[in-house]
Amino acid sequence: MTFLGMPLLPSKRRSDLPGGQGNIIEAEAFPEASHEHLSNQQLRNNIGHATSTIRSKRAEVVSELDDWEALRDAGEATKNEVMANLPEYLAQFEEAFTAAGGIIHWARDADEANAIVTELIEDNAPMLETGRREVIKVKSMATQEIGLNEHLEAEGIDAFETDLAELIVQLGEDKPSHILVPAIHRNRDEIREIFMDKMPDAGELTNEPAVLAEAARRHLRHKFLTTKVAISGANFGIAETGTLGVVESEGNGRMCLTLPETLITVMGIEKLLPKFADLEVFLQLLPRSSTGERMNPYTSFWTGKSEGDGPQNVHLVLLDNGRTRALADEHGRTALNCIRCSACMNVCPVYERTGGHAYGSTYPGPIGAILSPLLTGVQEQGNGSLPYASSLCGACYDVCPVKINIPEILVHLRGEDVKANHSPVSSQLDTALTGASWMMGDGKRMAAAERGLPLAHKVTSGEQINALPGIASAWTSSRDIPALPEKSFRQLWAEEEANDRDEEGQR
Amino acid sequence: MTDTAREEILARISEALGRRGGGEYVSSSPRTAVPGTGGTAHAESGGVASANTAATAADAGYHHEGTHTGESLIELLIDRLVDYKANIHRADGDPSATIAELIGGHSSVVVPRGLDSSWLAGYSGGVRVDAPGEELSVDELDAQGAVVTASAVAIAQTGTIVLDGSDECGRRAITLVPDHHVCIVRTDDIVDIVPEGISRLDAHAPLTFISGPSATSDIELSRVEGVHGPRTLDVIILSS
Ligand code: SF4
Repeated sequence: MTFLGMPLLPSKRRSDLPGGQGNIIEAEAFPEASHEHLSNQQLRNNIGHATSTIRSKRAEVVSELDDWEALRDAGEATKNEVMANLPEYLAQFEEAFTAAGGIIHWARDADEANAIVTELIEDNAPMLETGRREVIKVKSMATQEIGLNEHLEAEGIDAFETDLAELIVQLGEDKPSHILVPAIHRNRDEIREIFMDKMPDAGELTNEPAVLAEAARRHLRHKFLTTKVAISGANFGIAETGTLGVVESEGNGRMCLTLPETLITVMGIEKLLPKFADLEVFLQLLPRSSTGERMNPYTSFWTGKSEGDGPQNVHLVLLDNGRTRALADEHGRTALNCIRCSACMNVCPVYERTGGHAYGSTYPGPIGAILSPLLTGVQEQGNGSLPYASSLCGACYDVCPVKINIPEILVHLRGEDVKANHSPVSSQLDTALTGASWMMGDGKRMAAAERGLPLAHKVTSGEQINALPGIASAWTSSRDIPALPEKSFRQLWAEEEANDRDEEGQR
Repeated sequence: MTDTAREEILARISEALGRRGGGEYVSSSPRTAVPGTGGTAHAESGGVASANTAATAADAGYHHEGTHTGESLIELLIDRLVDYKANIHRADGDPSATIAELIGGHSSVVVPRGLDSSWLAGYSGGVRVDAPGEELSVDELDAQGAVVTASAVAIAQTGTIVLDGSDECGRRAITLVPDHHVCIVRTDDIVDIVPEGISRLDAHAPLTFISGPSATSDIELSRVEGVHGPRTLDVIILSS
């Protein structure tokens, strides 16, 4: 096993590329934000139930494929290949998409993307009697990242989420807590109340999921059939052919992608795959890792516009918003390989206890803990505490369909954070971390907590720990905790830095 | 504004990748090696052609063909479709009796232009044909009880049926708005695994992959069939 306490050498090249904006910035440091959520029993129960259920479904369908590891290798290699040649693939995609009748827009950041989408809506969606315009939306991480709905609202445009969970979150004036099942923190009674309260036509409802789903169907049906403009994200863009794809379950995606006259898609520049044939790998990796299904109910692909079939006015906004900054980080750039399956959050012990809101970002869980600070930079924005939101157990790496080494990047980013935010004067975050007793004060769960290390090392006489008492026993029954290091990460880091300085001084 | 953004983003990417001057790619972490080939996949001179001829997933060691054939292939597809709550029927040569039975309760159905009209011989209700230049409006589609189409490919391992916008499959809207979809899958169009399915498709066609009817698990993770798409999916496996 890799000794995760050892930092990678920090990158010599410090990128000053602009960071991303929008809903990817912690409002509050993770240790503080998580406090509140930890005491929410319903949240913990719901998330615990959801993650364990999806986890076992995933394990079952993954075990059906005897070439799963080869598929992961292929997925990883394909995404690395895309990142290494991104300008060429983007140009190729642009040419193919445009040749098929689509129109491409480029957005450097969230503000620019929001402005482009607003203008397109104003050009294509009619002004209603209310003095406002309406659009329908497919669930999309990219538009959540840039805060599109909030922006449109202020511009006089109502954006209706059509995914059931997103609808629950939107009507409840809430935030998503999981990227796959965003309303998982709500129970059926709460959803019933939200629907009866916010859907004028809902009538009397029971709390049966089937009844609630039917109410959502009735509520949205008319919108689907009459709205002129739809907004979507994309799971994949194929460079070779200019094809875009959306993977979904409910059919709301098909409705939005097919019925309106105008379709506006917002996609991160990292979402490309070289060839159409690469889908043979990703359409196996994604559904199995994500919902634990062999295939999700619906997948749609479109290439520009198809004569007489679907929207005839097709736009794509290609979004940077910090992705180039992440790409510049040689040790972190593979985070851009993420296909947003959410498998890593379903296995993460920290996510399971805090839920998604504590991360303060569109991207929660292990991937959020690295992606958010990579997009914004640990220095510029307040995302420095996210890389500490992990026990470094490595479970996220094991399940990641594109083999992103999340623990390694976490350690790297902790190093970046220490360098940028913690020396020589102790910062607010240090204080917050000292107060992070929920994790570190509980020796059963976090024996490797930095402060306890020297002492713990003596107590355990440097030997591997293979059994812990109490609630942690289930964890140690399936794995060993490596011997505790003598020194904490911070101490090692400080020493490394001092050595570097000495060496440079001698030269 | 947009043009400047394009140039700037492309320049940022080049900088991020450590390329200098004429777009030469300087790889500092050569992790682009493709498993099974021993080759590296970075472009020699940054050209699109070289980027695309570089080995990608297609050379890796996963399965490109399945092992099921004949009746066991059909049985696998049926098993997976049933798992996704689709209703399965089998027909030999002529599916018209099965179709009539399935759609008999609807007063009107829609079919795509290219559907074999003899398949509807046993049905006495109204048949609306959706064709280029004579497309049904969304409201007209909403008034149809069912839609009957053929399919392009069916993938047994995942229980997936693919529609490709051809004359027999129709526009995407016709299989979306009516609440009941009857889909005919010819045994010749059944493949075992996903790579075999993808290789039979044309990327430029509007494609819809369907694995069971619409479903959601968004409320306390309990699965509910039928949210926005057709709530009933009947699949007729047609042997020739
Ligand atoms: S990091 Fe990997 S496991 Fe996590 S969401 Fe992304 S692809 Fe899935």
